[in-house]
Amino acid sequence: MKKIVFACISLVLVFSACKKDQSPTVPVNDPLDTTAQVKFTGTFINGPFGMVTGTAQVLRAGNNDSYSLALKDVMISNGPDLHVYLSKEGQPVNFIDLGKLKSAAGTQVYSIIGNPDFTQYKYALVHCQRFNHLFESAELMMR
Amino acid sequence: MRKYLSTLFICLIVISGLCAQQKRLLTTNQLIDLTVTAGSSQQSIATSYVFNRGIGKSKKFEIGLGVRNTAYFGVKKDFWTAPANLARTTTFPFAVVFAGQKTENWDTLNVQRPFTNSLNATVNLGYHLSNKFYAGFNIDLIGFTVGRKSPAVFTSNGVSKTEPAAKPAAFNLLLTGDNDYGSLNSEFFLRYQFNKKNGVLKECTSFYLQNINQPL
Repeated sequence: MKKIVFACISLVLVFSACKKDQSPTVPVNDPLDTTAQVKFTGTFINGPFGMVTGTAQVLRAGNNDSYSLALKDVMISNGPDLHVYLSKEGQPVNFIDLGKLKSAAGTQVYSIIGNPDFTQYKYALVHCQRFNHLFESAELMMR
Repeated sequence: MRKYLSTLFICLIVISGLCAQQKRLLTTNQLIDLTVTAGSSQQSIATSYVFNRGIGKSKKFEIGLGVRNTAYFGVKKDFWTAPANLARTTTFPFAVVFAGQKTENWDTLNVQRPFTNSLNATVNLGYHLSNKFYAGFNIDLIGFTVGRKSPAVFTSNGVSKTEPAAKPAAFNLLLTGDNDYGSLNSEFFLRYQFNKKNGVLKECTSFYLQNINQPL
């Protein structure tokens, strides 16, 4: 009986062990479309929970109307469950989730689905979803 | 809403049970269950008391009531947010379980660290398949839930919004399918009995299908 209880508790502990889920630290260098137009750009500033250097750019592809967000030469303090947002506010209140942060360093490109109104979605954010901590933000200005 | 909490298929162990009487098939059957489920991103522990009464001459079929305490915790779980009148083609009780789904009306509430602790009254059904095998089903009827607040992300039509403190519904009520309120659990199990001494069920091993329905 004791073995069974022990097995149950062990099973729970194994599966409930906290997954750190940190972003990779190996720099990512996504190729940038050289024909793309830079429509908006901004410099990252530190949020309450992170340190960052680098810029954010909204790119419009040269061959169609698709948009993407490029994080250029960024160095971001790492954390769990970091996501990249295109946001209406400097805080993650209303936003479009572009996906998990690919890496804490390098140049990264995230596709923007649809054609959001960039006069409303004028911030790029890196946000820790799990703990609701804003790591950094960049206000995107028209180029 | 693309994913929803459902159907963990886990090998579980029922630790001990008590039988009230000493006949081969009992008029009444009482037992205490400890159930543990574990998945990669969610776990639950349930303790329940079951009181069943045998029906008919053979007492093979049992029906009864019970009470279950379920603690559930997870990481980054998606919950249904659309009520039945938006998410299903019909809201008629029981039929709603099999009704078509209007996926275009689904929204997602991704709760970052859900934790709920619920206490519910249950209804139980059971059948003695043989001397060794027993099949049972139980489902929560009504109860209440306490739990912690957790950050969440609400997504509708591709646009998301941070909910700084989503909290679980306090009241639970079985109305079938998407009509349900709160945190409700159900189990189907097959039990194999190794031995029985003096009316006490010493040990058994069960396989459960547990369905957890916990809208926040």
